[in-house]
Amino acid sequence: MATTEQVRIRTRGYERRRRELELLIVADIVTIFAWVLGFYGLHPNGHIDFLNPWLTIVVLVPLGAHVANRHLAADADAILLPLATLLNGLGYVMIGVLDPTQAHLQALWTLISVFAYVVCIFFVRNPDSLDRYRYLLAILGIGLLFSPMLPGIGENIGGERLWVHLGSLSFQPVEVSKLLLAIFLTSLLVEKRDLLARLRGGGLRRFGPIALTFGLALAIMAVEKDVGFALLIFVTFVLVMWIGTGNRIYLLFGAVTFVLGLVVGGAVLPQVHQRISVWLDPWKHAATTGYQLIQAQYAFGIGGLSGTGLGLSHPTVPVATSDFIFAAFGQELGLLGTSAIIISFLLLIGAGLRVALRAHGEFSSLLAMTMTIILALQTFFILAGVIRVLPLTGMTLPFLAYGGSSLLTNYILLAILMRISHRSNQFNDLREGTTG
Amino acid sequence: MRRRITFVGALFLLIFAILFLQLNDLQIVKASSLSDAPGNYSAVIKAFSTPRGEILTANGQVMAMTVPSKSQYKYQRVYPHGSLYSDVTGYYSLIYGTSGLEYEYNQYLQGKIAVPSSLSQLFSKSYSTDSLVTTISSKLQQTAYQALGSLKGAVVALNPSTGAVLAMASNPTYNPAPLASPSGTTEQNAWKSYNANPQQPLLNRAISRAYPPGSTFKIVTTSAIFDHDPRLARVNFPPVSSIALPQTTHHLHNYAYEVCGGELPVLLAVSCDTGFAQIGLRLGASNLHAEAENFGFNQVPPIDLPGAAASTFPPVSFFSQNLPQLAFSAIGQGDDQATALQMALVGAGIANNGTIMAPHLLSRIISGQDSTILSYQPKVWKVATSPSTAQKVAQLMVGVVKSGTAAGIALPGIEIAAKTGTAQTTLTRHSNIVGQSDNWMVAFAPVGHPKIAIAVVVPKQAGLSANPTGAQYAGPIVKAMIAAALGVKP
Repeated sequence: MATTEQVRIRTRGYERRRRELELLIVADIVTIFAWVLGFYGLHPNGHIDFLNPWLTIVVLVPLGAHVANRHLAADADAILLPLATLLNGLGYVMIGVLDPTQAHLQALWTLISVFAYVVCIFFVRNPDSLDRYRYLLAILGIGLLFSPMLPGIGENIGGERLWVHLGSLSFQPVEVSKLLLAIFLTSLLVEKRDLLARLRGGGLRRFGPIALTFGLALAIMAVEKDVGFALLIFVTFVLVMWIGTGNRIYLLFGAVTFVLGLVVGGAVLPQVHQRISVWLDPWKHAATTGYQLIQAQYAFGIGGLSGTGLGLSHPTVPVATSDFIFAAFGQELGLLGTSAIIISFLLLIGAGLRVALRAHGEFSSLLAMTMTIILALQTFFILAGVIRVLPLTGMTLPFLAYGGSSLLTNYILLAILMRISHRSNQFNDLREGTTG
Repeated sequence: MRRRITFVGALFLLIFAILFLQLNDLQIVKASSLSDAPGNYSAVIKAFSTPRGEILTANGQVMAMTVPSKSQYKYQRVYPHGSLYSDVTGYYSLIYGTSGLEYEYNQYLQGKIAVPSSLSQLFSKSYSTDSLVTTISSKLQQTAYQALGSLKGAVVALNPSTGAVLAMASNPTYNPAPLASPSGTTEQNAWKSYNANPQQPLLNRAISRAYPPGSTFKIVTTSAIFDHDPRLARVNFPPVSSIALPQTTHHLHNYAYEVCGGELPVLLAVSCDTGFAQIGLRLGASNLHAEAENFGFNQVPPIDLPGAAASTFPPVSFFSQNLPQLAFSAIGQGDDQATALQMALVGAGIANNGTIMAPHLLSRIISGQDSTILSYQPKVWKVATSPSTAQKVAQLMVGVVKSGTAAGIALPGIEIAAKTGTAQTTLTRHSNIVGQSDNWMVAFAPVGHPKIAIAVVVPKQAGLSANPTGAQYAGPIVKAMIAAALGVKP
């Protein structure tokens, strides 16, 4: 039997954390460099103040997360945190170029989110504990989901009732709620997995879980008018059901109900229909609903291959810091910049898939997969919407876009992946150590 | 399960590859068409943050220039002479776009990134701009506005042998400065007040607004006589105050029921409507229509300014069942409509031996290093008529100044050819007494080697006298312009 001391030596934790620190420093250098470029782009003759408190927060706070990793999740994947830091930092720089006030808030949210990450890593020592408290998480998730409906704190922005106001802080509870519900559904799936996989022939029970998800998605659509969230939770869970059971009927059934949902949604919600028609021909609605999308196209066109340079153009895409931040990147950094961002996201998703593949235990593996799918689909749907591959669904670009709730949620998502990764790496290293 | 996770991973790679393809399409394939698209405000704002070339008069006065600005756009467009040249330069507005020469020659005026000439310039973007030298004479432009005074109207002066626009005035006009302001509020307020003004200051009456040309159209009718039926030039029309029109019980009256008649020189000199109405009916619709189109009617003059309007002469078919309209069209009424520019071109065509040169404002484009990179070459627009016809018409127009309705513009020692026009726009209602008319004069001088052709219109407006005429309102402006152009005292 190995002693605790020997475990530390045998696992490759030290190596992984050193790699993480190196990559974090690279990500920070990129952020600082981009910030300086953006600063001189906006103020060609300005005096740079490197002790900018907001930049300092954005650069130093991930190092705090790294210290927490060393103590709490030493064996976790080395590239997840640096990638998140890179995207977070670039996002901060671009938000600063577009709207300095929002950039200050984003820096504060980074601080809060990384703190939440550390808390999450600290309290969730074992991913299986999430399985155990699934009903608590589900109730919390549903409560958060419906909190914007509460009079007094809820607020209606742009026809979608998504916001909660507590004092001057505004928050989109849907973001956190989608994580909690995903954990709940994954846990439910793992428990009923064998049953679901074995079921043959008819029977309503077999479609129970998918009907539940579908009903939930529809309910959210109808009550909160948030099509994006409904779509995300539905597609994620159909994929996770199939991965968990290997029963292709779920893919087929998911596709059928998806079309059904689209028809129902299109009939019930005017904005579904509107978004599809804007997607098909934004120029027909150039002055009204298509304006944003057209300006985004222009932004990409202006950027061209190498972009105008940070701070050197004046992106006129509305809500450029949140939904359309990718268009601002397209304009100022060009195809080279947008490609780099897409590759960063692919690496992040790839790291998530690796965590899922290596995970120890079914729940951990499926949960890692759920987290990765949420990350990937969110990224894909918003990017596809902005560049007009798909209709806009109103999601936020993880880590990059302005928005506290999104940042917080994605750091928590990252913490869960890190926790799973830590457990499985520790286990695998130990097994290799004992056999080898 | 591992296989399915790998499969989902491959699926993600695939859908992100689609994103990458679409990005290539947007940022490489369609990049230039998207960034040049109208309504692309980022491109507009970028243009407002770079210097812009000057617009100059022929004698080197600055009409428009940029100066460094402390605003968010770094540069500001200024117009040193206020509203004097606004109908030529147009405006340069962030919100409302551009007009006039600012629009027409934007590709030269806008700043271009200079080719670096030293290593240090590689790292600092410096811009070079081209300047636009126009054909406008600052003296004639000032004279035109002074002569117009508070009258609503338009003046167009051309060099008949080149088509160069020497002056272009549309009164009342506007000051382009507030529209180029870096303050959006100033811009919006100016735009609102210009558009709310019933006098339409933003309208360039000289090229965009057509009025019934009245008797100035008789220049075209006279030219048609020599080109299509020269015998009519020797027909003696007995003096009458009105004639009966075919196909109707209506009559066509002379201005103020005057009695007139005789041969063509007399008919033109006193602007005899009954005589020219009969000439028009004898010439026939197709001859008159062909002559009008030869002079440029029903076509937009190829001037290098946006917003030029075509002048209209009705189609032949319009007259076949409606001969009275032919009588009215022959004297520039009925459905005839002409811009000041078009009538100036008619005068210029007669002055230039029957050939109308394309009107233009561009003289040359000068690069930042003071070298001419483009020089305008005069072009023929229309061969309106033969030199012999043009000379005959010119001599008849000289008679209008010597012993006719334009006697008031005579200048000692200078042979001027002119034709007045007073379009009684209420004519169809047989109430041609009350002072509501569009008052015109077309002239050129000196006959033989003309330096200026000019058209002036003072449309009907409050404040004119009862029974206004072209000689009364347009005449003094024409006289002042010719005097200024030839350097003599009016």
